[in-house]
Amino acid sequence: MEYTVGSIAPIFLSPVIAFVINAFFGRKLPRQGDWLATLSIFISFIFSARIFGDFVFGQFATDFFIHKTFTWFDLSHGSEIWKVDMGIYLDNMSAIMLLMVSGVAFLIHLFSTWYMDHDEKHGRFFVFLPLFTSAMLGLVLSDNLFSLFIFWEIMGFCSYSLIGIYNKKEKAGDASLKAFMTTRVGDVFLLLGIVALWMLLGSVNYVDIYAAIAEGKFDGQSVLGISFATFAALCIFLGAMGKSAQFPLHVWLPDAMMGPTPGSALIHAATMVTAGVWVSLRMYPLMVLGDITWFIAVIGAITAFGAATIATVQTDIKAVLAYSTLSQLGYMIIGVGVGSYNAAFMHVITHACFKACLFLSAGSIIHSVHEQEMPKLGGLRKYLPYTHFAMMACTLAIAGIPFFSGFVSKDRILGDALYYGFMSGQNPLLAIVPILGFAGAGLTAFYMFRMMFLTFYGENKMHHDDHGHGHGHHDAKGHKSHGHEIHHEHLDARQNVPLLILAVFTLGFWFSGTLTGQSFGNLMGKKTEWFKILVEAPQVEKFVNYKREEFSKTDLRDKTHLEHAHYHHQTGYAGPNPDEHKLHTAHTIGAIASIFIAFAGVLLAFLMYIKKSVNPWATRFPGLTRVLQNKYGFDDFYIDVLIKKGLLGLNRGLAWIDMGIYDRYVVDGAAAVNRVLYKIAKWFDNVVIDAIGVDGTGVAVNLFNLVLRIVQSGKIQFYFIMLVMVLASYIWTLNF
Amino acid sequence: MMSLGSYLIISLILFVIGLVVMLSRKNIVAILLGIELILNAAALNFVAYSRYVTNNLDGHIFSLFIIVVAAAEAAVGLAIVIRFFQIKETIHIDEATQLRN
Repeated sequence: MEYTVGSIAPIFLSPVIAFVINAFFGRKLPRQGDWLATLSIFISFIFSARIFGDFVFGQFATDFFIHKTFTWFDLSHGSEIWKVDMGIYLDNMSAIMLLMVSGVAFLIHLFSTWYMDHDEKHGRFFVFLPLFTSAMLGLVLSDNLFSLFIFWEIMGFCSYSLIGIYNKKEKAGDASLKAFMTTRVGDVFLLLGIVALWMLLGSVNYVDIYAAIAEGKFDGQSVLGISFATFAALCIFLGAMGKSAQFPLHVWLPDAMMGPTPGSALIHAATMVTAGVWVSLRMYPLMVLGDITWFIAVIGAITAFGAATIATVQTDIKAVLAYSTLSQLGYMIIGVGVGSYNAAFMHVITHACFKACLFLSAGSIIHSVHEQEMPKLGGLRKYLPYTHFAMMACTLAIAGIPFFSGFVSKDRILGDALYYGFMSGQNPLLAIVPILGFAGAGLTAFYMFRMMFLTFYGENKMHHDDHGHGHGHHDAKGHKSHGHEIHHEHLDARQNVPLLILAVFTLGFWFSGTLTGQSFGNLMGKKTEWFKILVEAPQVEKFVNYKREEFSKTDLRDKTHLEHAHYHHQTGYAGPNPDEHKLHTAHTIGAIASIFIAFAGVLLAFLMYIKKSVNPWATRFPGLTRVLQNKYGFDDFYIDVLIKKGLLGLNRGLAWIDMGIYDRYVVDGAAAVNRVLYKIAKWFDNVVIDAIGVDGTGVAVNLFNLVLRIVQSGKIQFYFIMLVMVLASYIWTLNF
Repeated sequence: MMSLGSYLIISLILFVIGLVVMLSRKNIVAILLGIELILNAAALNFVAYSRYVTNNLDGHIFSLFIIVVAAAEAAVGLAIVIRFFQIKETIHIDEATQLRN
């Protein structure tokens, strides 16, 4: 099989086509075109699955990749080369990511057709959903930072539209603006980083950047007093922080739940937030060269722990999930920072599966009972058995219970973090990264099970409040709550099947391959785990003297590299000079510690919310709870200090300059000069143009009119006489 | 012996008769006849000058052209006159003032 553009492009193009059709003709289509959007994502999924199958199960070298480019526009003249290339870069990582994005997005689309049914924004929702997905797929396929940035911004726009889709709600509008503005702060830095790389290298293609790193083109270059690589890496990472909602640009993500829940699922799981991690992973060699990995690790650790603490006091089911997303993204960023490249990417994939499922489950609950405040819920296990099953599987995964996917990926990140913080001879202060990481893992187990217990277990308070039934008399018949009847859930193809499919992928062996013996591990002829083999940090050396392929040429298959493909070792650790033995020790300790911590968190939640033998935190530490409920005051800080004091003060200063200086001297002065000029112009206008020019012309025309009216008699013989007289006078003048 | 002067006098007489007819008669057909006379005067002048001054055939060819043009002009003119008569039921020249307004 050969890879032509035609076998790759539909992944990106089919959702785009669905977007265009739905945007212009969606209202005329049956069901407002939701089936079209879903179908288009399914087409993407089929093509992605083919690529995934070839890359994962095919006989490729692990470092095999497909790179096809074409010149988008060429501004070269003379010796200056200003070419902008576009293209596709496909390697194992993109193949896995494409399958994840299209698969999860397909299930979310399918769920949305149920969730958004009879919603007034149904049609509009299915315009943005495929565009969002296509932008993410395009971003994954991109071979350069420039097209990545384009898709990045399309996603920013789509998230803005999806969050604010209920545009009559003021809070939704505010939340969408907040998301857009906050990510914009990061985007500016990303663009700055891209421009900086462009100015130094004349290209922002990944392969060119890798080659430049290997060739040492960054050596000795500096900008603003810091090394160029640091500057560029920092800018790009700041962009990633905005998109992946890392501290302190995290404020937008919790508010992003104002949109419909499937939209949140898409933002939180498959697209948008993973884009930041994606660009950090793609630019990982630059981050290492720029020596900012410690910064990345610390930011990730702060986010992972801080968001987890906030999640413990949230009462809105979607808010808990939103903060858990923040926290999990923190783990991915920790993974990038501590050199756990492979595990960080694995966490992107595992997290996408279970977080999509969690959000869809939350959507299923909200749609069924029309309530999302957890204190008002409870005992839903009886009514929503399938949702309960799926959500429990995902909770086990995110909490890091062994045999589930979250454990596999998070544990590896934490193991590497442990090695990084304590054993790699780094600055001892960086021990904070594993400490916060493990603490956050415990909190994750606690708040997720708190959510489960409050939502699905205990007694159903909705009945109790409305009808005054005694305890324990809850059957499903005829109990109404806020005018809505809670029905027993039946297996519905569009509601439950996406949940259950995603729940299946919360099992760890899909990713680790260890539970099924060696059957997955035998891929590639190596007895080990497929994910660890297939994903490794970019080896920049192999891009030196790399000749890129043009579009339409077929790719070259190279099986001979299979034996020479080098991986650092099975943990996928990509940091500098790892000590194998210590790393192994760190992973052993990390695994044991994270199992204990996870179970401790679950136990604490059990004691607080099921047994009720331990008082919940809210009553025990009211001050701390208030701080957490205020989300550490970040929103207030941004509004009160940055915007009210800083930005408005700056505005006032600028206004004074504007009013006091520009207005008084420049504008008013110009006005005075203008007034004199105006008088001159007026005189000129009245006398020269009006009187002489316009009126004069009129008078002249009138005069001619008088004469010509007489001459133009209409009598032919009169004309003859005139003719003869003219001829005669002409001849007469000739003779003299 | 015929000289150039005699031809010119004949042609002058023809021209003046034509001119007077053209200017004084109110009948459109008569005016067309006057124009024919003027054209013939011009043609006679061409032939005479060609014979006595340049001594080649240029003038003859010109006069042939004039005859052809006169024939064409008479055809078109008479057609117009017939249409005019059909509309106005007169061929009085002073009635032909539609183009004025």
